[in-house]
Amino acid sequence: MRKRKGTAAAFVFPFLLFFVLFWLIPLIYGIWMSVSKYSLITGYSGFVGLANYIKILFSDSMYHKSFFLGLKNTVIFVVLTTPILTFGSLALALLLDRLPERLKGIFRTIYFASYSVSVTAVAAVFVWLMKGNGGYFNNMLINLGILDSPIPWLEQQPFVWAALTIATVWWTIGYNMMLFVNALNEIDMNLYEASAIDGAGFFVQLRYIIMPNIKNIFYFVLMTTIIASFNVYGQPRLMTKGGPGETTKPLIMMITSTIMDRNDLGVGSAMTLLMGIVIVLCSIGQYYLTKEKENLV
Amino acid sequence: MKKKYFSRILLVMCACMLAYAFLLPLLFMVFTSFKGLSEAMTSSTLFPKEWTLDNYRQLFASTSTAPIFQWLLNTAIVTVAGTALRITTSVLAAYALARLPVPGKGFIVASLVWAMAIPEIVTFFPLFYIFKQIGMLNSLLPLILPSGSGVMCIYLIYNFLLSFPRELEEAGLVEGANVFQVLLHIVLPSVKPVVITQAFITFLGLYNSYLWPSLVVNRQENRTVTLGIAALVLGENYTNPGVMMASTLVSVVPVMAIFVVANKYVVKGFTQSGIK
Repeated sequence: MRKRKGTAAAFVFPFLLFFVLFWLIPLIYGIWMSVSKYSLITGYSGFVGLANYIKILFSDSMYHKSFFLGLKNTVIFVVLTTPILTFGSLALALLLDRLPERLKGIFRTIYFASYSVSVTAVAAVFVWLMKGNGGYFNNMLINLGILDSPIPWLEQQPFVWAALTIATVWWTIGYNMMLFVNALNEIDMNLYEASAIDGAGFFVQLRYIIMPNIKNIFYFVLMTTIIASFNVYGQPRLMTKGGPGETTKPLIMMITSTIMDRNDLGVGSAMTLLMGIVIVLCSIGQYYLTKEKENLV
Repeated sequence: MKKKYFSRILLVMCACMLAYAFLLPLLFMVFTSFKGLSEAMTSSTLFPKEWTLDNYRQLFASTSTAPIFQWLLNTAIVTVAGTALRITTSVLAAYALARLPVPGKGFIVASLVWAMAIPEIVTFFPLFYIFKQIGMLNSLLPLILPSGSGVMCIYLIYNFLLSFPRELEEAGLVEGANVFQVLLHIVLPSVKPVVITQAFITFLGLYNSYLWPSLVVNRQENRTVTLGIAALVLGENYTNPGVMMASTLVSVVPVMAIFVVANKYVVKGFTQSGIK
């Protein structure tokens, strides 16, 4: 028994070592930085209590402005992308579910394939695809007669938000779709057949069979999408550099420039923790949404 | 019956149009990489009127601005080492937590759950600073080492083992096998599905991650391919879409090939990692 205890400890040890070094210590260190005056160049220079947080939340400093502008931009991005990424992916999954059996696999792979590429590849392609002057996307829309003149997708609002949304949807919708595909596969076929005999159409089935059965997955997709969109960084960083002006600079970009350009680790850490709190609240929301469902059953 | 047949066709047409929309950016990437400079700049058609390999020649020749093979090699090192590290530490720890009398077990499992709820971004900047202070920013280690703390990975393997019958393992122990033999010959084969999906998800994450590498890699020759492409997007080669698309294509092909082959496993893993 004693020997097994020793073995057990030895098995857990490597993980615990990495966990402490690369997760726990940075977490605590970050909290410490957020209540200190901390520079990237000169390091620690004194405990300041909640001064960094107050500077961000209530003062009239540039940190206050960048944080709330970043938050606003991030929320805009979340609001634009989340409905398409949840309802759109559900629609894709429902479409796949109704295709002939032989075609399902190929279409599923096509819709999902773009998820495998990196955000930098997405940006590289969309920057050129959606270029204002001579981009293929504009040329195509003009040839189809949808547009009269090219749109400056990456230079002018509100088109820039549209371009970022299109790129993001293209990149990540397949992942959510896959979660829905799996959930739909688990619905008992007999329910469909029974309801069809009773004359139920698609929308009746959607309301009374499909939605109740995939409710948990739906909440999961909704919350993970909100969290993922809240963490947006790569697309605006690479596609628009936060422009035009600072209209597409998300929170993480504000944090990186606070830390990497203004060298302010203290305020930057406080911003990161504030952002972390928002995300944790979203996770808790998801927990309660799915919990409630279980109690009802 | 006729009506049903008709709506079938409508659905398939709809699926085809969507497929075209999904494939368009990829087709654009592939075809633009075979276009000459002037044609790539105007891109009036998707297909090249004149096919050329110049972009690839230029890409492979420009080893000083875009050493793409070096980047791919770095990516290979980081993804393989990082994935191996995460899977090894996770399987060992998950097995011990699920089956062996680990001291402080309840506390460890509870902290795993808490750690999963806290977003990664919170640890990025302090960790970056630590690596900077100990002078590790010039190596690939900051890209590899944090993978050793795969909280989600452990938790999923642990959960899987809890719901998995332990009779076989106990029989093995009674027969005189030691813990290592049991782990290797009995436990490992049974957790294989979870391990494969987790390995793949880890691999994909390491291959594609951008924010973390952009913080901790400050030398051209240490870039991963994802980071290298980002530098191209932000930097000089920006002016030639053909070369840009050629390099993006080279960066995407390895991961996409693996992805398409493995996507069934991945999907299962995604669902498991979500709800359970």
